[in-house]
Amino acid sequence: MQHSYPYKYQSSYARMFSFICCALVLSIFYGSCAKDYETIPLGQQQTLELTFDSHDSAGTYALRYLSEVYNDALINGHNRVDKDYLDAASDDALSSSTSLSSVEKIASGAFTSTDLNADDNWTSSYATIRAATVFIVNIDRVPLIEKLPDGRPARPAYKAEARFLRAFTYFGLIKRYGGVPLLGDKIYNLTDNLQLPRNSFKECVDYIVSELQLAEDSLRSQTEINSGSYGRITKEAAMALKAKVLLYSASPLFNGGNIDPNNPLTGYTSYDKQRWQLAADAAKAVIDLHYYSLMPSFTDVFTKQNQPVGTGTENIFWRQVGNNQDVEKTNGPIGYTSAGGNGRTSPSQNLVDAFPMQNGLDITAAGSSYNAADPYEGRDPRLTATVFFNDQPWLNRHIELFAGGTDRPGGTVQQTKTGYYMRKFMGDFSTSNSTVYSNTLHDWVYIRYAGILLDYAEAQNEVSGPSQQVYQVLYDLRQRAGIEPGDDGHYGIAQGMDQDEMRTAIHKERRIEMAFEQQRYWDIRRWKTAESVYSHPVRGMDIQRTGNGQLYYNVQDVFTPHFKAPQMYLYPIPYNEVVKDPAMKQNPGWK
Amino acid sequence: MHKPYLIKRLCHARSLRVIAAILCLLFCCALLHAQQTTNADSRAAINLSGTVTDAYNKPLGGVKILDKQETLLATTGSDGTFTVNVTKGENIYFRLLGYDQFTLKATTTFSGTVRLQQSFLPAAKMAVSEEQSNAPSSQLVEKDQDTSLVVLQEVLNGSAGYPGGKSGSDLQGLYGPIAAYRFLGAAATATQNELSYTPAPQFTYALPGRLAGLNVNQTEGFYIPSLTLPTSVDFFVGNIPTNKSGAGPSDNNQFDIQLRGHNSSLGQSPVVIIDGIQRDIYSLDPSQIASVTILKDALSTILLGQNSSRGALIVQTLEPTSGPPRLSFTAETGWQQSLKMPKPLSAASYAYLLNEALLNDGKNPAYTGADYEAYKNGSDPYGHPDVNWYDAILKNNPMITRYNLNVTGGGGKASYLVDLGYLNQDGMFKGSDAHTYSTLLNLKRYTVNSKIRFAVNKDFDLGLNLIGRIMDNNQPGAGTLNILNNLLSTPNNAYPIYNPNGSFGGTTNYTNNLMAQVLESGYLAEQERDILVNLDMRYKLDRWLPTWWVRLNGNVSVQSASFMDRSKQDPVFQMVVDDKGDTTYNRFGSTVNQNNGFNTTSWARYWYASASTGVDTTFGQNNLGLKLFYDQKQTLLNYDLPTVLTNYAFQGNYNYGKKYFVEGAVNYSGYNRYQKGHQYGLFYAGGLGWDIARENFIKDHASWIGQLKLRGTYGKTGNANVDQYGYYIWNEHFENVNVTYPIGSQYPGPQGVQQGGTLPNVNATWEKAYKLDIGLDMDLFNHHLQGSFDYYHEKYADIMQLRGKSIALIGLDYPAENIGKALYKGWEGSLTYQNGSGNFNYYLTGNASLQYTKVLFMDEQQQAFSWNRHTGLPVNQRFGLIADGFIQTEAEAESYPTITGYTLRVGDVKYKDLNSDGVIDQFDATPLGKTGPIFYYGLSGGLSYKGLELNFLIQGVQNRDIYVNNLIMDGGFQGQNGGYGQAYERIQNRWTPETANTAFYPALSAGGNGYNYNPLFLSSSLFVHNGDYIRLKNIGLAYTLPAVWTHRLKVGSVKVFVNALNLWTWAAFDQVDPEISLPNYPIQKVINTGINIKL
Repeated sequence: MQHSYPYKYQSSYARMFSFICCALVLSIFYGSCAKDYETIPLGQQQTLELTFDSHDSAGTYALRYLSEVYNDALINGHNRVDKDYLDAASDDALSSSTSLSSVEKIASGAFTSTDLNADDNWTSSYATIRAATVFIVNIDRVPLIEKLPDGRPARPAYKAEARFLRAFTYFGLIKRYGGVPLLGDKIYNLTDNLQLPRNSFKECVDYIVSELQLAEDSLRSQTEINSGSYGRITKEAAMALKAKVLLYSASPLFNGGNIDPNNPLTGYTSYDKQRWQLAADAAKAVIDLHYYSLMPSFTDVFTKQNQPVGTGTENIFWRQVGNNQDVEKTNGPIGYTSAGGNGRTSPSQNLVDAFPMQNGLDITAAGSSYNAADPYEGRDPRLTATVFFNDQPWLNRHIELFAGGTDRPGGTVQQTKTGYYMRKFMGDFSTSNSTVYSNTLHDWVYIRYAGILLDYAEAQNEVSGPSQQVYQVLYDLRQRAGIEPGDDGHYGIAQGMDQDEMRTAIHKERRIEMAFEQQRYWDIRRWKTAESVYSHPVRGMDIQRTGNGQLYYNVQDVFTPHFKAPQMYLYPIPYNEVVKDPAMKQNPGWK
Repeated sequence: MHKPYLIKRLCHARSLRVIAAILCLLFCCALLHAQQTTNADSRAAINLSGTVTDAYNKPLGGVKILDKQETLLATTGSDGTFTVNVTKGENIYFRLLGYDQFTLKATTTFSGTVRLQQSFLPAAKMAVSEEQSNAPSSQLVEKDQDTSLVVLQEVLNGSAGYPGGKSGSDLQGLYGPIAAYRFLGAAATATQNELSYTPAPQFTYALPGRLAGLNVNQTEGFYIPSLTLPTSVDFFVGNIPTNKSGAGPSDNNQFDIQLRGHNSSLGQSPVVIIDGIQRDIYSLDPSQIASVTILKDALSTILLGQNSSRGALIVQTLEPTSGPPRLSFTAETGWQQSLKMPKPLSAASYAYLLNEALLNDGKNPAYTGADYEAYKNGSDPYGHPDVNWYDAILKNNPMITRYNLNVTGGGGKASYLVDLGYLNQDGMFKGSDAHTYSTLLNLKRYTVNSKIRFAVNKDFDLGLNLIGRIMDNNQPGAGTLNILNNLLSTPNNAYPIYNPNGSFGGTTNYTNNLMAQVLESGYLAEQERDILVNLDMRYKLDRWLPTWWVRLNGNVSVQSASFMDRSKQDPVFQMVVDDKGDTTYNRFGSTVNQNNGFNTTSWARYWYASASTGVDTTFGQNNLGLKLFYDQKQTLLNYDLPTVLTNYAFQGNYNYGKKYFVEGAVNYSGYNRYQKGHQYGLFYAGGLGWDIARENFIKDHASWIGQLKLRGTYGKTGNANVDQYGYYIWNEHFENVNVTYPIGSQYPGPQGVQQGGTLPNVNATWEKAYKLDIGLDMDLFNHHLQGSFDYYHEKYADIMQLRGKSIALIGLDYPAENIGKALYKGWEGSLTYQNGSGNFNYYLTGNASLQYTKVLFMDEQQQAFSWNRHTGLPVNQRFGLIADGFIQTEAEAESYPTITGYTLRVGDVKYKDLNSDGVIDQFDATPLGKTGPIFYYGLSGGLSYKGLELNFLIQGVQNRDIYVNNLIMDGGFQGQNGGYGQAYERIQNRWTPETANTAFYPALSAGGNGYNYNPLFLSSSLFVHNGDYIRLKNIGLAYTLPAVWTHRLKVGSVKVFVNALNLWTWAAFDQVDPEISLPNYPIQKVINTGINIKL
């Protein structure tokens, strides 16, 4: 190699430079090897073992996990189905939406096993069931030292809460689909074969009831509930849910009216009156506790019981929601521009007509004093508490529901389709001078004492006909509602009814007492009356006002529902589940 | 001289029928130049002397001067001077590879400057082998200047540190150039000229139609930055942004870039490599880029290891040129115009048609006759407004302006380049003078690219490269995307722009005024900062080990993006006049005072290092190259754990006499997002080549064949796209939930814990591809005709998919698993013809690709009917119901099969009941649209005559479908804010009893209809249209002022130009733009003018 001197001279600097550069690059290489990060991201370092920590006597993560099971299992029913109440898919109401709403699709039968209806909860239910099972299986590892107020250890209570929530979720499934696969306490993994068959309806009911009975003994009692624990599942809630499950299983759809008579998946294959007896007994057991009572004011039930502590409450099982203005803003009349109101729910004339007069008589009954030219005068006070009708006072003015009125202006704005807005669950702003809403408690009540009374009355009537206890339920409810007892103290209830007449009376009372509480939609199915209910159009009230303020009331048909009997009494199992699992039998009529 | 030559060649070409057929296309051009022969009229010898320069007026050495008989008269020296004696009247020709031939007619004694113009298609594109090349090894540098600089130039040309020796024509390989003659893979390149005349903010705009196999579909017409915040660094796992590509945030939201039909949304778009560094940077000015190359086959991308399936898009920015300083300055400005903006219904038509829709639905009409009249005659502009929002809030011709300054030069030991770029692009929203700040939609970008090359000594070269970029994006405070959505959906009669009292109009349904959103909503100013520093060192170990070399490369780059939220909101008012005539204003919406928020949207650090060493040796006719390679790429994004991709590779290549080629590589590659023990895999690729033109029987009998290379590669590649499917999906975990169920008085609820949303997939691994590519490169007629053809067959396996039996009973989501198999195959070809005569030069180049895809396995469950099956059809085949006309009569409505729960009416779509069970359901779903291959093509050409240049690019797609399912435009009156949304003129083609036979659309319906649109959540063939289109993507005209003028001004050259983007489009379905429709930002037509000065 030949180099001239200057070149060498230069290159010694250059070599030094190159050495530095190499060192620099190598140091970068070294940097890559340095230990500076976790191998698992921080947010994912929590394992099953840590969640159910065998060293944590406070069970911090385990209890947080349980809270999330609550969150999954208990769904807020307010405007639940794609912003509508589920009962807007029954004959009690319509969605005011200008678009094609999910409840309208349900009511018109526009769903299939691939185009599922918006109330379908197959997948989410099994997610909840898994979450609950994980808790039930693992909680015993946690050395909880917490005690219930009565001195018993708290761990069995928490475990029983998860058990309850799982049973409640199964109940949600059997209402919709009939018998479904019961997974027990097994937690499935990727490698497991999940091609399970459905259990029979009977097995499902038995399982749910036995689970609730198992939970009952461990749960805390309503008497032990304090301001730190209200919202937790109680023993009484388990009893009440059991009553409800038994009532459903005793109902015609499953008990005697099985849509596929010899198919154990869709119901019992024969009628058994004993099931009504079980339902009545279970409801009676709750009544006989004497913990619960009807609150004096009907409207307060939904908005005032924000701390149902101890006995003497009406709410038995609810989802905690807290204080907000959601119900008012979503469903309130649209003319209150400062308060905000989107009038989402349009109660039907069918529902309004179901309310009796204040004297307890049906509007069609002789001597009811009902005046079709002034239809809202002298009605059951629950009507006022359930729907907005024309001229009702609200937020410092009177509601205008006549055509062209402030709250029914016409044009393209979302507004009532029936001439009514939903009022139930709202705070009482009828005498308010304010023009805006204030926060109101909006817990979603699943089971309340009034419902248990009605469950009892219904079951008892099936067992032994209209006994005095059955009548008494109706009197109690009507008394609380503010219906005049009348000279005879019968609150307008006809005497000497036979079993069928009493059944009709109970159904009717249930409809108006429990309107919008996710009862009607299921009731017409379990009573197997949906095919006749949906054969009538849903009606609304068109009110025309003349120049001099005279009002003319015209009832109109607003919507024609469709119900394909018998297949629509049960939901289709999602097609994807059926096609993936040969053992999974589809419900009758569905593909 | 050309005519007999060409005809002779044509005769030969007959034996090659394919070539002959193509040549016929070029025949006209050939005739054109063939006729331009000169007539010698005098025998007197005269002296011609002068200097040959380039456009910078810098001397060009090595220029060959030839006479008519192709006799070499002289070659210019390093100072560019020449002296020749020729017969008077004869033409002499100045030739240098990469430059257009210059013809000088010896009429009088000449003494002056001859300025050569760079060819539009530069030498790099010409796959020329070494001996045939008449170019010096380094075009612009004299060999005798300094020994070390020769090394440097070899480095720049990629010969040092790379096997293959010196060559003037290289292809951009993965991490440096590869001599074209031994390249065995499939590649396509677009070079600077092709890119720089695209008046657009990103180089991606210049790619559609240029590179065979690369499909570049535009999806958005303006850069809209992400303003999503990385939620706090807490343990709330659900919000950790997954770094889906493993490459950090991408600045590409305007294009869908697909290679050979691969779905870019599944992490299969090509890996972008900028100056040797993997970085997803697309928004670089086209004029700053020297070339863009796409590598398509297994062998040429195998060094990417676990990303090697994706192919690579190699972006090479401009390189330094040694010599005296060369300065180039370009200023240009353009007018943009949105294409295919929809035409809204006037308020009167809207009212009329909405009433019709409501009546069809059995609902009460919303408008009275008086309303209709008021809309029609405009008598009540406040109560019954009719606002065309497109005219109201959009301006016609927003501007785009670019400046670019480029300086390069160098002395004996070093060369440098500094490139400064500035871009200012306006969006289409109107602005207001009412504020001191700007609410305009606007993009400003400042870039600097500087490169320094040192020849430290004879053996050691060092390159330092620095790219910096600042982008300032401004948009109205309401947000561009939000405004575009509102623009699409707000009816003309929704509200007046302003009330009589000057306040913004609005209603309970429209609590935001569109004009207020554009002018009075403050602004969102987003800033992005990038810096890339790249150090490249190459050392020749010749003095110890002959032909050994070492290369080290390190890169650190940082990117951050943040935005200032200075948005605000004004309330809107509805004017109400009551019975007594009193006017009141109802307020809707709320006042939000101007925010002053600062948010970091992302911060990323990238880190790359590579080390390689190898030997290139020659013994006799044998040429051997061996190379060991290691690299590691680390990306750290926000608070994600870093992604680390590591490769250990060995490459070898051998050729005998540049005739027979063998090459192979193995790569042991690992990615840290897989579970330990599952991180590393072995990938391999190999290739064979045979240059038939080197065989004696060709050399001797068909010397017009310069290259005829058969080549093939096969390899196993990988795609580690696991991040697409979740963050550490192998890790079973529980996670915190911020707000859970409240117990007692704990409102809002406390923190909760839940099991992670998906089951862990501990066995997750990379997707694999087995890629075969067989190609042919040819170079004929002394480089006039060049072509390249490829057939590829890529079998993908272990594609991440949900298993078929993903049964919901398990209670958690199933993870993606390595299940699927798919086949991608097709043909690609490109052909270029270039020639010239006199001072007239031209070229024509075309490329085409035919792409098939097929699902081989997807764990599909039992399908009831053959037409329900997806397996065997193209990947992502659309399924749906076949629309078969409209219900015409009540009788038909009653008897025709329908979807459960829907009552047919006249004017509804009839769907085909394929299984004839009387019901339309999932069993009637069938493949919709085309199932055949898609054909992409591009044709570009250009010509230059003296200083005048013209060039164009036409790009098109055949056998493509377009699924227009824009319910606002096709259906109209969608339920919106508790009312009904906008409708467009298109729906006037709806079914009515009168138009029963000519209707395109079903009878109107308001508020959505689950039957005619989105039936069963499936597609309807009613909305499948022929998606074929042809675009004149680019056309440009430029004129370089004559040298005599510019020399007088003491400048090298002055070029003025005008060019256009998307000037003309033909689409089979002409209702929307074939690529973009609202609410995406529309595609822009740009007409651009500019000037370039070189010193």
